[in-house]
Amino acid sequence: MQKIVEVKNVEKIYGKVGEKQFKALSDVNFEVQPGEFVGIMGASGSGKTTLLNILSTLDTPTSGSVQIAGQDITKLNTNEMADFRANKIGFIFQDFNLLENLTAYENIALPLALQNVSPKKIKPAVTAITEKLGLTEILNHYPTELSGGQKQRVAAARALVHEPSIVFGDEPTGALDSKSARALMDTMTKINREDNVSILLVTHDPFSASYCDRILFIRDGEIGQELKKEESSRGEFYQEILDSLGTFVE
Amino acid sequence: MLNKLALSGIKHRMRDYTVLFSGLMIASAIFYMFLSLALNKTFLKSNSPAAATAFIFGFGIVLLAIITIVYINYANTFLLSMRQKEYGMFMMLGAKSSKISRMIFVETFTIGAISTIIGALLGIIATKYVSQWMITALDMHVTHFSSFYLPALVWTFIFFIVIFVFSAIRNSISLRRTKILTLLHKDSQPSKIKRNGAVKAVQAVLGIIFLVIGYFCMWYIGKNAAFIFLGVPIALVTIVIGTYFTINSAITAVISLLKRNTKYSQKGLNNFTLSQLSFRIGDYTKILSMVSIMFALALGAITVGLGFQKQISAVVNGQNYYDVAVHNADTAQKNRINHLSGDDQSNYSYKIDDNKKIIYYRASELKKQPFHYEAFNMKSMISTTKKSTNIADPDVSYSMLQNMMPKYRMSQIKMVNDADYNNIPGKSNTLTLVKTSSFKNNLSKIRTISKEEAKRYPELKNAGGDKYSAYIMINGFFSGLEFMGFFLGIAFLAMLASCLMFKILSGANGDVKRYNMLYKIGTRQRVLRSTINKEIAVLFAVPAGLGVIHVLLGLQMFKGILFQPYTHIEVPFGIFIVLYLCYYLLTRYLYKKIVLK
Repeated sequence: MQKIVEVKNVEKIYGKVGEKQFKALSDVNFEVQPGEFVGIMGASGSGKTTLLNILSTLDTPTSGSVQIAGQDITKLNTNEMADFRANKIGFIFQDFNLLENLTAYENIALPLALQNVSPKKIKPAVTAITEKLGLTEILNHYPTELSGGQKQRVAAARALVHEPSIVFGDEPTGALDSKSARALMDTMTKINREDNVSILLVTHDPFSASYCDRILFIRDGEIGQELKKEESSRGEFYQEILDSLGTFVE
Repeated sequence: MLNKLALSGIKHRMRDYTVLFSGLMIASAIFYMFLSLALNKTFLKSNSPAAATAFIFGFGIVLLAIITIVYINYANTFLLSMRQKEYGMFMMLGAKSSKISRMIFVETFTIGAISTIIGALLGIIATKYVSQWMITALDMHVTHFSSFYLPALVWTFIFFIVIFVFSAIRNSISLRRTKILTLLHKDSQPSKIKRNGAVKAVQAVLGIIFLVIGYFCMWYIGKNAAFIFLGVPIALVTIVIGTYFTINSAITAVISLLKRNTKYSQKGLNNFTLSQLSFRIGDYTKILSMVSIMFALALGAITVGLGFQKQISAVVNGQNYYDVAVHNADTAQKNRINHLSGDDQSNYSYKIDDNKKIIYYRASELKKQPFHYEAFNMKSMISTTKKSTNIADPDVSYSMLQNMMPKYRMSQIKMVNDADYNNIPGKSNTLTLVKTSSFKNNLSKIRTISKEEAKRYPELKNAGGDKYSAYIMINGFFSGLEFMGFFLGIAFLAMLASCLMFKILSGANGDVKRYNMLYKIGTRQRVLRSTINKEIAVLFAVPAGLGVIHVLLGLQMFKGILFQPYTHIEVPFGIFIVLYLCYYLLTRYLYKKIVLK
């Protein structure tokens, strides 16, 4: 089966040759299978965000290759990158990044409008995803009229509405209270299981990470340890993560 | 240490500060330019026949002062929006609020003072070149005008310094009162969306009613000049209120209609653009209304100014049908006449009986070359060209006598047959009358011919009668008015467009996040740029559109003073649109620089 994400020997160096350079990523290799829910954990400055930026075509690696859904994204030009993000990737950000002058419905419909999908097809697609995420009641509300949890669910709906190959989550629970965080992670797990949507989550929160099938630990720009959930319960996996973090940080 | 940090903060935002500085310099330069004209009483008196001019300029100063205050207010908001996060950080690190408010005071005042000084100096240079350009381009005759006028300079400094002291105090108080957290997170403060459909509907209807009342008043002033004292204030108030309501309601109504049309709105970023606009227009109603009124006043001033310019050729052409009159042309004058473009030449022989004060013409020559003259209709105030073969007719002879030497202008004209003419004693003279294809285009050649003629016949000097002397007199009369209209118009336009520019730019920092998010979810840069272009275009077009309508209907007021106020209206409109367009292009360029990566 075709891998959804395939990262090979990726290196990212900031600074020009001859100047002071900083290696943010060093020889990163990993894969994500279709329908997998993968977490990337690491402390601040470990290279998580750099890696996510490269995977989502917002930044380019200094060397190495990144294939997403069979396409080498390091060889795309700026326009192709934008189209790639619009078609193949869904984003959920820590601070929701909803447009406050658009209603929830309009925010969710935005990726489809960007792809010039006909308005006739937009409505059923938005309805389907909002029913699944329980957002039908708040579709006409503006973001300022929503709670943090509702905002993040709207953001999730926006990330999923165009049926992307993979959804990237950048600390999606970072700005939520524990109840909303739990609800969001339950929803993401549900979508992952029922619709076979691949999810890659960047987080430093062990609780959110415990929802993943597999966790990659990153430190100083290198992927060190890998942890798989397999048959463990979420509570057990959470404990394993905490243990690993303890040893990983030392 | 804090001062050093604050200075380094300025260095990092040099681009934004350049925008701020140049904007403020433009403001003080324009203010100086305007004052150099408005305060110069000798200039006003010597260049305008109307007593109302001083009043108009007084009114102009008040308006310009109001716009300048609003403008500096926006520029100040722009400054605060740039600095508050940094100052909030200093306060978070433990800097005392008194220290911070002193710093913002010094910063605001220094920026204001430096830009005022440089701006006023630029104003002197600009006044020199703009006036020179206008005087040459429009062949104006302006006296007692000097680009350096000390009272104007002093008042510009006083005015700006007072405003900046107030702005500085306001900034320091507002920083002191705002909570540190609010300062730090000012960019991410949510904006509330208001929903008040019923109020908007009432406003839309009221807006249109007010505009209709205002337009009716202006139309009625054109019909009945005595209504001016009541009509102008009514029109001013109703049009201001009508414009405000229309922008606040009608424009948002159009936007929501477009939003409801899913075929249009759900295509690309259209929905985002429409939402940005409805969001903006709610916030921008005051500035957009002000810009539209000022736009109308400025464009109106230029249109009426140019209306006087057009009046010049109409009035001049009404004075004498022929562009050139030459007596007993020598070879040099004949040569000059032959160089006029599209000339229609008539040569008449005449003899003078000095005793009886009679001028004799050959009837045969007039038959061959009928005499053209301008018949002025007192009722319609319009002159029409007529021709006649009988210049002895008193109506016609009056026009013919205008072309004669001054001492014979009271004589009688008789037409005789060739035999009788030959028998009349005395020297036979020739009068060459030339009508060119365009008096204006041949002006320099006509000037030479006229001056040469005055050299050959010194009595012609200051005698008038010919078209060139009529032109000199009328041009001098209208030029002053035209010069003032132009100056007033350009100063207002530059100021109001800068106002709009700053208002838009001061919101740019808050838009960075939105555009960044759109970029992240896969919007191409080209699409983002075109969205910005569209959004700013609408913000510029709405007040311009309303302003144009105000002017088109407002010109009705001048129907009594200017005949055909609408002819060649495309000229002032064109000049204005080009200048306004430059501001639009500059704004969208700066906006994109701030918002896009």
